[in-house]
Amino acid sequence: MQILLDLFYVLIFPGFLFCAVVGLLLAGIDRKIVARMQKRMGPPIVQPFYDFFKLLGKETIIPHAASRGVFIAAPLLGLVSLVVMALFIPVFGFTAFSGVADLIVILYLLTIPAAAIIVGGAASGSPYAGVGISREMVAIVAYELPLIIVLLTVGKKAALDGGITFSFTEIQAYQAEFGSMLSHWSMIPAAVAMLLVIPSEVGSHPFDVAEAETEICEGPLVEYSGSLLGIYKLNHAIKMFILTALFAALFLGGAGSGILIVDVLLLLLICTVVTILSMSLPHAISARLKVEKMFKFYWTLVTVLAVISLVLVWMGF
Amino acid sequence: MFKKIIDNSMAKSPWIYHINTGSCNGCDIELVSVITPRYDAERMGFKLTGTPRHADIVVVSGPVTSQSKERLVRTLAQVPEPRVIVSLGSCPRPCNVFKGSYSVEGPLDKFCEVDVSVAGCTPKPEAIIDGLALAAQILKEKRRQK
Ligand code: SF4
Repeated sequence: MQILLDLFYVLIFPGFLFCAVVGLLLAGIDRKIVARMQKRMGPPIVQPFYDFFKLLGKETIIPHAASRGVFIAAPLLGLVSLVVMALFIPVFGFTAFSGVADLIVILYLLTIPAAAIIVGGAASGSPYAGVGISREMVAIVAYELPLIIVLLTVGKKAALDGGITFSFTEIQAYQAEFGSMLSHWSMIPAAVAMLLVIPSEVGSHPFDVAEAETEICEGPLVEYSGSLLGIYKLNHAIKMFILTALFAALFLGGAGSGILIVDVLLLLLICTVVTILSMSLPHAISARLKVEKMFKFYWTLVTVLAVISLVLVWMGF
Repeated sequence: MFKKIIDNSMAKSPWIYHINTGSCNGCDIELVSVITPRYDAERMGFKLTGTPRHADIVVVSGPVTSQSKERLVRTLAQVPEPRVIVSLGSCPRPCNVFKGSYSVEGPLDKFCEVDVSVAGCTPKPEAIIDGLALAAQILKEKRRQK
């Protein structure tokens, strides 16, 4: 029985199927909102589903210069780590596997999809991919620092004994008792920093230096085609969901209503709002940043925002 | 059922890759205007991609010059099946005003089979959208026959 339940968790809810459907929907909403902001009609909201299924039906070419095994394994590795993450991120009171993982594990798992892009690009043997992966590495270094500081801040705030906690359970318990993190004013700079980290972590438009299709032909993905490319697109969509759900768990968590369906719908609502705020808005109003500009942006403005919160929390506000 | 979903998706998400084989740039600009807010081809799922590996529809503009011939053939070989080739403007097929030039190797039909041909010098954006929509349908047919 336990095995069946675990399988259900991994494959359907909150695992693979749920993530994939919600992620692709979020990606569709993002594209629609951006189009509306640019006074266009925009594609239908289910467009990412069409893209994904179309890519499944295309021929998959593996170039001669590529190292075959790694080329195929890299996107799958990214997908698996994203699904694992979905099992650990709490939906208000509910977690599929609670108590076995905390923020540190999430931090490690978050780098795997980015690493999968780097590894896959390196294995494809294209010079454009070479440029792309070096940019992706710069991007990782850029957003990882503020992200870690934000997580530290949340951990410090949620620990009641004066130390730092990295357990999701404790963070949710804290928010259930004292209101969500966002209702404490000292956490607001950290929340803004997190909102700015999300688009570059996902690789959405103003910060997609690694996949700049107009400059370096989609960077690491340049040689991918067919279903392997489809899996990368799926990873991108799931990443949108995972990061917005992480934001919800860290800053807008709490006990929830106790009824799972209501909680899930609430989570979806939060995810949509966060997607629009953190991804669609910058996408519509800004052009792609240069690599150095992006690096500077993250290590100055975003890091400072996160540090302000950390200092405030440390002083007991 | 799964096959049917894939077949239908083919017509709804055609990604375009554009090759310039020595065109005067008129057709290229007109193709870009198709994805501007005024005409917005993205509402039908069209998207410009940067690499032939992601392409479903290859749009060729310009009479094939001797410099671009080899690149054209190599690029077309990199596009995964099923694919559709669209010739844009009057240049690629009858070579337009460039016919008979020492440097023109066209027409395009010599190097690949052309599925849709949009005529005009330059074609109107409406005509281009019409041609691309037709190409998307052909893409679906090709997938079905496989
Ligand atoms: S058809 Fe006319 S506008 Fe188009 S590339 Fe040829 S000459 Fe230029």
